[in-house]
Amino acid sequence: MNRISSIALASLLVVSLGAGAQTPGPAATAGSAARGKTTFFRVGCHQCHGGEAQGSPYSTAPKLGPAALPFAAFTLFTRKPRLQMPPYSPEILSDAELADIYAYVTSRAAPVALDKLPN
Amino acid sequence: MSQSDEVSKGRRSFLLQAAATGAGAAAAAATAAAAQAPTPPQGAASPGASPSASPSVSEVRSEGRPGSDYMVDVLKSLGFEYICANPGSSFRGLHESIINYGGNSRPELITCMHEESSVAMAHGYFKAEGTPLPVMAHGTVGIQHASMAVYNAWCDRVPVYLILGNTLDATMRQPGVEWVHSVQDAAALVRDFTKWDDSPVSLQHFGESAVRAYKMAMTPPSGPVVIVADTELQEQPIHSDRTLVIPKLTPPSPPQAESGAVTELARLLVEAEQPLFIADRLARTPAGLERLVELAELLQAGVVSTIPNLMPPVGAGRMNFPTRHPLNQTYRSNAAIAAADVIVGLEISNFFGATNIFIDQVERTTRPAIRPDAKLITLNSTDLIQKANYQDFQRYAAVNMALTGDGEATLPSLIEAVRRLLTDQRKSTFERRGKALAEASAAARERFRGDAALAWDASPITTARLAAEIWEQIRKEDWSLVSGGLSGWPVRLWDFTKHYQHLGVSGGSGIGYGAPAAIGAALANRKHGRLSVNIQNDGDLMYAPGVLWTAAHHRIPVLTIMNNNRAYHEEMMHVQRMSNRRNRGVDRAHIGNEIDNPGIDYAKLAQSMGWYAEGPISNPRDIGPALKRAIAVVKRGEPAMVDVMVQPR
Repeated sequence: MNRISSIALASLLVVSLGAGAQTPGPAATAGSAARGKTTFFRVGCHQCHGGEAQGSPYSTAPKLGPAALPFAAFTLFTRKPRLQMPPYSPEILSDAELADIYAYVTSRAAPVALDKLPN
Repeated sequence: MSQSDEVSKGRRSFLLQAAATGAGAAAAAATAAAAQAPTPPQGAASPGASPSASPSVSEVRSEGRPGSDYMVDVLKSLGFEYICANPGSSFRGLHESIINYGGNSRPELITCMHEESSVAMAHGYFKAEGTPLPVMAHGTVGIQHASMAVYNAWCDRVPVYLILGNTLDATMRQPGVEWVHSVQDAAALVRDFTKWDDSPVSLQHFGESAVRAYKMAMTPPSGPVVIVADTELQEQPIHSDRTLVIPKLTPPSPPQAESGAVTELARLLVEAEQPLFIADRLARTPAGLERLVELAELLQAGVVSTIPNLMPPVGAGRMNFPTRHPLNQTYRSNAAIAAADVIVGLEISNFFGATNIFIDQVERTTRPAIRPDAKLITLNSTDLIQKANYQDFQRYAAVNMALTGDGEATLPSLIEAVRRLLTDQRKSTFERRGKALAEASAAARERFRGDAALAWDASPITTARLAAEIWEQIRKEDWSLVSGGLSGWPVRLWDFTKHYQHLGVSGGSGIGYGAPAAIGAALANRKHGRLSVNIQNDGDLMYAPGVLWTAAHHRIPVLTIMNNNRAYHEEMMHVQRMSNRRNRGVDRAHIGNEIDNPGIDYAKLAQSMGWYAEGPISNPRDIGPALKRAIAVVKRGEPAMVDVMVQPR
């Protein structure tokens, strides 16, 4: 049977992302978006945050891109999440893999114009 | 000849008599139930009547009507439109009386392929129609199949009306299957999560308990009830020396909260700076929605409602408040709850969860989601119905005031009490507050629309895009979302204004509710000409997909859109959590959770059971045209499915 609960990033992350786009830090530029996509799906980020990192209101999993936190903050929340998100230690997700994921989420397409949505 | 032998012979003779006269009885059925009048005495079959050499001749000699005819009269007096059942020998007498004596009309028998589907259909039907739909099932294997759906109904405060067949008299049971299908106490299995039950030992007893059960089920707080129909009562003739009466049903008025407490609540609300209502299973009827709008507008107070699976989890039970009303703060519920100085929980069991943040990490912790000086108040009828074993009552919430009474029934007196306390000065304050809330709500809505525009052309399709595509096709129709949350996108993107447009969640979160509840609600919506929309989770459908056949067989029009994400994703996330917490990685979390390899072709599944179906669709641009074609089929009175490959969330 189903247990309704959620796995999500911290509310602080929600607030931070809601504040608007940030410029990726230097470490992020070393990542590969192509490798990052593979890792993003392998380690299950898409389960809550969606395949395009678009986020989901279901589990208060925030959008991760294309506008993103600075890489340092992104790393902090991944390693030591504050709410429901499972922690990703360096043993199961290396710094290099995390940089790849960051490259992937920040390279996602911008949202379409709102007039494409029915009102 | 033993007494048992005599009774058995009498029953056999009597049954064929009943069969021979069935057609005539059916014709008379429309008037037989006439409302709660005494049933005329009937001639009793002679237990000692000797069979002739030809059974087919001798067995039509018997006289009298069977007890199950009286049971049908009782059911007719209660106004049931339909009755759901997967056929079973322990209620064969009642089954026969419904279709022949009762003319298979009011109630009309709906053929179900699983007892869980029967009960879930009744669950969904009630939430769309506001009246119960009875279910017949074996008192043993039937209720065992049905029990999880009964639990859902219990948690969701829905009056499902169960009639269980059973043979209590051991000497009347045919050796073999009838023994394993008999039980001392048929209702015991579900007594922890039903409101009332009885096992009548006479027909008059059945009549009185059947009417009482209806009354008990419908009195708020509502809940499922069980009546056991003993096979001997069903199949034995009605005794001639007894006049059976169908008791009059007098619907009770629902309980209101105590008037002094209502006045005090009104005072707190009028004096509050940021009052907030959190409504869950408040609006039992359309009037409940209208009264909550009236109260919120009077106070210019915010309302959080009707959003499933939020953290904190609030307001998924009923359609309490229009989604685009300026005072609807559901889009920004966390901020609204954090800012409120008076929070009133309206028919919400999980008030603790709504006012606290629970963190599921290695050490599970909780912290308040409210300001320290916030006054917490509940207006609930649930305290009147709590039982001990199953824990659906949620964690205890320490509140400043606890009003016990039905929320909807109490709102009119609360509104009047608020009106008496209003001053021009307070009205001015309210006006400013309402304007600020409207602006905050509009901003939150635009933020969500922006989020929905992300990954617009992605494949698999985003849940937001699917919700938007469905909305585009139904928004000019008289629609009803009969089941399905789709990650909460419909309540963010669609304009919900009517009570029947959102029927809420299952209650017990037992998978397998969605498809049958949707089809039960669609059965109710059919006569109103509403377009029933079911957003169907794939894992949920596979519990008992036979309900698709029921919809086709009974021509129940429903538009089903498959939310086909090929996994039990909620559970996958739980395994992810365990894996990472143990530092083992999540690479294998799909094992035991995915519904893939092979993927299930839901369109073919539906087509095999008589549905129009398309898909799977993976290009978002194909959704709109497919929905148009499916809606055309639904408008012709048939069920139709569009299978869409979507993202996990």
